Amino acid sequence: VSETPGNKIQHLDEMTCLLYIERQIDRTRAQEVSLHAQECASCRTLLHALERESRLLTRAMLEEEEPLPARLAEFQERARRSVQWVWGVVFGLAATGAYALYTGYVEPWQQQLEQAGFGGSNLLSLLIFQGAFWKGWQSMITLLEVVALLTLAGFGLTFFRRRIRRSSVLALVLAGFCTVLALPGPASASEFRKGESTTINKEETINGDLFLTCGGRGHVDGTVDGDLFFFGQGLDVNGHVTGDVIVFAASVRINGQVDGNVRSFANNLTISGNVGKNVLAFNEVLNLDSAGKVGGSLTTFVESLGLDGRLGRDLFAFFQHASISGTIGGDVRAKGNTVSVSPTAVIAGPFRFEGNTPPEVSPQAKLASPVEYHKLEHKPRYMEGHYYVWRIIWTAAYILFGLALFLLVPKFAGETISAAERYGAPIGLGVLVFFGVPIAAIVACVTVVGIPLGILAIGFWILMLNCAEIVVGTVVGNWILGHATDTWEMIGRMALGFAIVRILYTPLAQVHVLGSLVGLGIWVWGMGAISLALYRRIEPVISPGASSPPLASPPLPPHTTVGGQPA
Amino acid sequence: MTAAGITEPREAIGRARAGDAEAWGELYREYAPAIFRFCRRALPTREDAEDATMEIFMKLRGKLNQYDPARSFTAWLYKVSANHCWDMLRRRKSRQDKETEEVENVPLEHPDPGQLDRLIEQRTSHEVRKALDKLGPRARMALVMRYYSDMTYDEIADELGVRRAFVGVVLLRARHELRQVLEGNAALAAGGAS
Repeated sequence: VSETPGNKIQHLDEMTCLLYIERQIDRTRAQEVSLHAQECASCRTLLHALERESRLLTRAMLEEEEPLPARLAEFQERARRSVQWVWGVVFGLAATGAYALYTGYVEPWQQQLEQAGFGGSNLLSLLIFQGAFWKGWQSMITLLEVVALLTLAGFGLTFFRRRIRRSSVLALVLAGFCTVLALPGPASASEFRKGESTTINKEETINGDLFLTCGGRGHVDGTVDGDLFFFGQGLDVNGHVTGDVIVFAASVRINGQVDGNVRSFANNLTISGNVGKNVLAFNEVLNLDSAGKVGGSLTTFVESLGLDGRLGRDLFAFFQHASISGTIGGDVRAKGNTVSVSPTAVIAGPFRFEGNTPPEVSPQAKLASPVEYHKLEHKPRYMEGHYYVWRIIWTAAYILFGLALFLLVPKFAGETISAAERYGAPIGLGVLVFFGVPIAAIVACVTVVGIPLGILAIGFWILMLNCAEIVVGTVVGNWILGHATDTWEMIGRMALGFAIVRILYTPLAQVHVLGSLVGLGIWVWGMGAISLALYRRIEPVISPGASSPPLASPPLPPHTTVGGQPA
Repeated sequence: MTAAGITEPREAIGRARAGDAEAWGELYREYAPAIFRFCRRALPTREDAEDATMEIFMKLRGKLNQYDPARSFTAWLYKVSANHCWDMLRRRKSRQDKETEEVENVPLEHPDPGQLDRLIEQRTSHEVRKALDKLGPRARMALVMRYYSDMTYDEIADELGVRRAFVGVVLLRARHELRQVLEGNAALAAGGAS
């Protein structure tokens, strides 16, 4: 019992009051306290305040303001899941074994039977390859492709299992596969052909797109009523392709007719026939023969360009050496080492050439105007004034880009910056994403059907790459100005930090190896932070409204009241 | 039945003790949210709470055979959780020795009842949770054990390693510390508003 200074009234001390309301004192002492409280308003108030404080504490602790984190929600399933993974591996191995058995034994027997005159009627072929399965798969699927497809399915499972229930995921994925495989091919369905040397005979017509893959040389002597995609050693198009030709090969010859465009990634491309539209070529050597004709424009990045035929529209070219003796119906914009224009050349539009040596132009050549020549100047980029001007312009553009991002997704931006400030995790994840995503995208593209997914992944990867410097810039801004409390403060820090990073990195980038390493570090760090923030976003949470466990409301102390009512 | 009249999943507990993984999963699903919340209140960061929750359940699985079915499962669960959290905090050696010294030597100032009543009146649960985050480990742990999991003074004394008679002092000191934080926040808010 304490005595208040200035008067002689004795009051209960706080400890006694606390022990009283917590029922931690003996009965006799409790009666004394109770009697005193009836007479003393001050002590009554103190007891009342302490009791309210207890209730407030209990309420504050019991209130559920955070959902159960995903990793805890999934924790108890881990042991079971590890067993399920074993089953998954077993299933995968069994499937691979079955496939190997089929391709190693069943298929050769089937082919032998077919050669012996029993083909086309066996049950397996009838049910699977002539029925629900689209027939092109028969020749397309290889073990590698199966593995790639399974990998894709695995990625799909891994992603979606976090969003929905496992059984639903399995049903979804299997249903998706079945749907894709069971879809009847449209009339103009694509055709897949592969082999050591593939030929589309002169009398043959392919209705739809044609995918050709071969180890040797492919020949298209017939008609492809669609696009032609080719992957192989070499390609001769002697027939007619009504769509585009997209080709990856060592050597390509277009002797026939292509109504659409030609996109070529090859060592040598020779056009002796007709191309109705445009040509885009990344080659070592490109020749448009005197008999060759391109209806549209020619855009090319080559070492050696020979243009003897007829080009309907513009030429846009980067090369080491070019020789022009044919007809160009439009402008010429070229950059390279040397260019020579023969007496037979006809160029209808202006000719602008930027190179190391002046162009050799025959006086007999028919040009719309004299060649506009600019000599290439070779000096380090950083010695040129416009390099810095462009750096400033790009810095401003990136800051603007960052501003737009911060305003569009302020919460996510904040989460990304927080993730970046953990250093270890984002850098580790960044390394994985930086190298892993392109590899995964390539694996996806190998399956052909996964091309959209692969392109999407690469697009997203590039977007992250461009955002990485903004993330790192904002972290640097935070180091200097401290942590921001709102979006505009965060934008200010981003702008300052980004500018500083650019200023420091510009001279550093000129230092061999070190510049590259620093650049890589920035990318990895920024990409990792974005990935980490994304991961946390897609990480599922158990909603606060989910069924509450019995322990969600632990028993209150018997002497406390909740909401003003006795417990 | 627990003190609050909530039925404990006796059947699941029995099966889990017998090694039934499904039953263990049921128990986890039922109790994990509450144990996570307990750890969240007792430990300084969310990550610590997540780690602790997982570790507690791993520990519980091994200790399930030690549980006496005659006693409350809930109470046993909280006891194990409190023990684990307090161990975690002690391992970090954060101000423990200094605190003990402070608790024993610094006298507690008698509060103005009216002022205390007004302070409690004005504070919200959210503010109290924020203030709890700023308390020392011992004060925080004591409050959580008492006002979240309703542990007795004997159990708290046992966990904190102090005499039973000293538990009241620890709790009262924790309340004083909490009030100081709450008053500081109020002063800051008033300063900010002016």
